[in-house]
Amino acid sequence: MKPLALALAVVFVVIALLYWTGHFIPAGVHVKHGIVSIILALLCLVWYRFLTAAPAR
Amino acid sequence: MRRVRTGLAVTFAQAMLLAVLQGVSELFPVSSLGHTVLLPALLRWHVDEGSESFLAFVVALHLGTALALIAFYRAEWIAIAVAFVGSIMRGRFSGAPEERVAWLLVAGTIPVGILGVLLESPVKRLFASPIPVSLFLCANGFLMLFGERLRRRQHEAADRPYRPLEALPARDGVFVGFAQSLALLPGISRSGSAIVAGLLRDLRHDDAARYSFLLATPVILAASLLEIPKLFAPDAHAVLVQAFVGGIVAAVTAYASVAFLTRWFRHNDLTPFAWYCVAAGALAFALFASKVAA
Repeated sequence: MKPLALALAVVFVVIALLYWTGHFIPAGVHVKHGIVSIILALLCLVWYRFLTAAPAR
Repeated sequence: MRRVRTGLAVTFAQAMLLAVLQGVSELFPVSSLGHTVLLPALLRWHVDEGSESFLAFVVALHLGTALALIAFYRAEWIAIAVAFVGSIMRGRFSGAPEERVAWLLVAGTIPVGILGVLLESPVKRLFASPIPVSLFLCANGFLMLFGERLRRRQHEAADRPYRPLEALPARDGVFVGFAQSLALLPGISRSGSAIVAGLLRDLRHDDAARYSFLLATPVILAASLLEIPKLFAPDAHAVLVQAFVGGIVAAVTAYASVAFLTRWFRHNDLTPFAWYCVAAGALAFALFASKVAA
């Protein structure tokens, strides 16, 4: 699961960059779509954090 | 060069009426978007709802509503934020009630965030005219009546127990988030659909309403913060006073509305709001279909 969480985070960052630079679809730059993608990337990193944290004593 | 829609600016009286309407209908389960489409059409206001000045005004109303919600639940939001950050720092769940609510809010916001950015514009283009909005407002009423009926069958006939918001599983939070996305259809209420979904997942009315209002806050706040540049658009200066006063009026009415509704849902249900939506939607449909209203 850890590689999946990291891979998804990277994928969402790339999607955000594509939205912000206008390369994703011909309609142009989509700021809100990019922001949602970045939030999803951050959530994937949080998921990774939960998977890698030391167990409670 | 970017084309600017100048349109006709709202008058001060129209602005104040719209601000009160926004503050009330955003939180009452009667669809704010539906009312902001129907009322100007019924009153034959010649306002260009796509103009920069009108959009700037709407941003101020939403910002006022979001700030009112944050102010009303300020103690809860602080506890939720502390618990949320704490769980990330630790990298594990402690099981504290505030932490559970924080992650339920995340679970419920993801569906509406994704569907909102992907579908909001095409759905508005297709349905944001008086006749479809009237029909969706009726459907909103029937949805709430159906939800109440199903809840009674689950809990009174089958004797299923209620549970507090803090005990709601994450998958049910996602379910409520998807239900909230129905409000992309103008005429369907965000709070109404979220409360019905919460009831169907064994929450009591007061907890379902609390979850709905907490869920609405980041969505409304994010939507208005992203649109703040519209307040500085070239054509927006025509409505700056209306936007500023309207934002304050929307905040005050939203605060009063959430205070009233949290008390209402301690002992009452959705039925009066449901019948209001059915009656208002049917009347608006009759007026627009028969061309009595523009």
